[in-house]
Amino acid sequence: MNATVSKFVRNCTSGVVAFAAASAVCPMSAFAEESGAGIEAILPQMEEFIPMLVAFIILWIVLAKFGWPKFEGMLEKRENTIKNNLEKAEEARQESERLLAEYQEQLEHAKAQAQTMLNNAQKSGEALEKEITDRARTEADAMIEKAKVAIEAEKRAAIKELQDSMADTSIAVASRLIGEDFSDEEHRKLIERYVKEAGNLNA
Amino acid sequence: MPNRHVINETIAAYANAAIDGAYAAGGKEAVVEVRNQMLEILGFMSTNIDLRLACDDEGYTPEERESIVRGVFGSYNELLVNLLVVMASRCDINMLRRVYAKYEELTETKLNFNIVDVTTVVELDDNLRTVITEKAESDLGRDCLLVEHIDPSIQGGIIMETRGRYVDASVRSQLDRARLVLKEKTDGGEC
Repeated sequence: MNATVSKFVRNCTSGVVAFAAASAVCPMSAFAEESGAGIEAILPQMEEFIPMLVAFIILWIVLAKFGWPKFEGMLEKRENTIKNNLEKAEEARQESERLLAEYQEQLEHAKAQAQTMLNNAQKSGEALEKEITDRARTEADAMIEKAKVAIEAEKRAAIKELQDSMADTSIAVASRLIGEDFSDEEHRKLIERYVKEAGNLNA
Repeated sequence: MPNRHVINETIAAYANAAIDGAYAAGGKEAVVEVRNQMLEILGFMSTNIDLRLACDDEGYTPEERESIVRGVFGSYNELLVNLLVVMASRCDINMLRRVYAKYEELTETKLNFNIVDVTTVVELDDNLRTVITEKAESDLGRDCLLVEHIDPSIQGGIIMETRGRYVDASVRSQLDRARLVLKEKTDGGEC
């Protein structure tokens, strides 16, 4: 159907072109007798019409034989080009749709992944925060405990030092009193008492 | 190097010679005197290494070693000096401490009495000597002779010692015990 229409259009076009060419080749005035009146004023003269028709037919045949195939080739080529372009465009469109879908899928996947990562990061952050807090609390407790132990040790050491100092002082005072206040006789009495109270020399 | 049995026999020979000679010369008092002087010589030698080494140095002749001993210890009991000369001539001065220990043992086992060192702050009177001697003889079960020492550092009381057996009834030790008790006492405090 398309081929028939195409051929008809092709023939008509060839005819019009041939007619225009014939008019150009035979510039005889078809309306030379414009001065006539009535219907004759618009009817061609036979002596002009026939050569013009012959020229037209000849031209039509020539164009149909030689001009049209080239024109048809160009059209066909153009048609193929357009067709190819359309196919390519369709392919490109399909490809782009596929890519778009793929990209959307990837995007969705990326969004999901990002959300997962965000959730994980949030969880990790919370866990890390808890861990840091716990560790800091533990360390603080340990430091406090250590400080308490150190304070207690210092306190004990100070008390022990004071106690030792008091003991040394007391003993020093007692020694001095004995050394200065005891007469020889008192010493001898003390010796005698100690000898009687002393343990067995053979033990 | 002789074995230990030979060494022990040598030491016993020296100790027997010393105690027999001393007892024969002056009885128990001489035995005590020799013992005390031997103790002094040991103390002197422990602080004078050169002398001790010289007395045992084979680089010197026996006569030179004898001369050294007589020169240093000539004022001591003659019996003891002779013993030291013999020991020095045989390079046996290093055995003197063991000879002393054997000598003390022989006073107990051979002569059946003990030499008791008594340390006090003041000199003993006769009453105290009697009390202490009776106490020592009662404890040891044999005769005792006292060797008296004055040492103000014990601050009072008495220390008795014989052959390693020891009774410390000095004020210094009493105070040391009191100091220890005071330092270890925790009642009344927070600790």
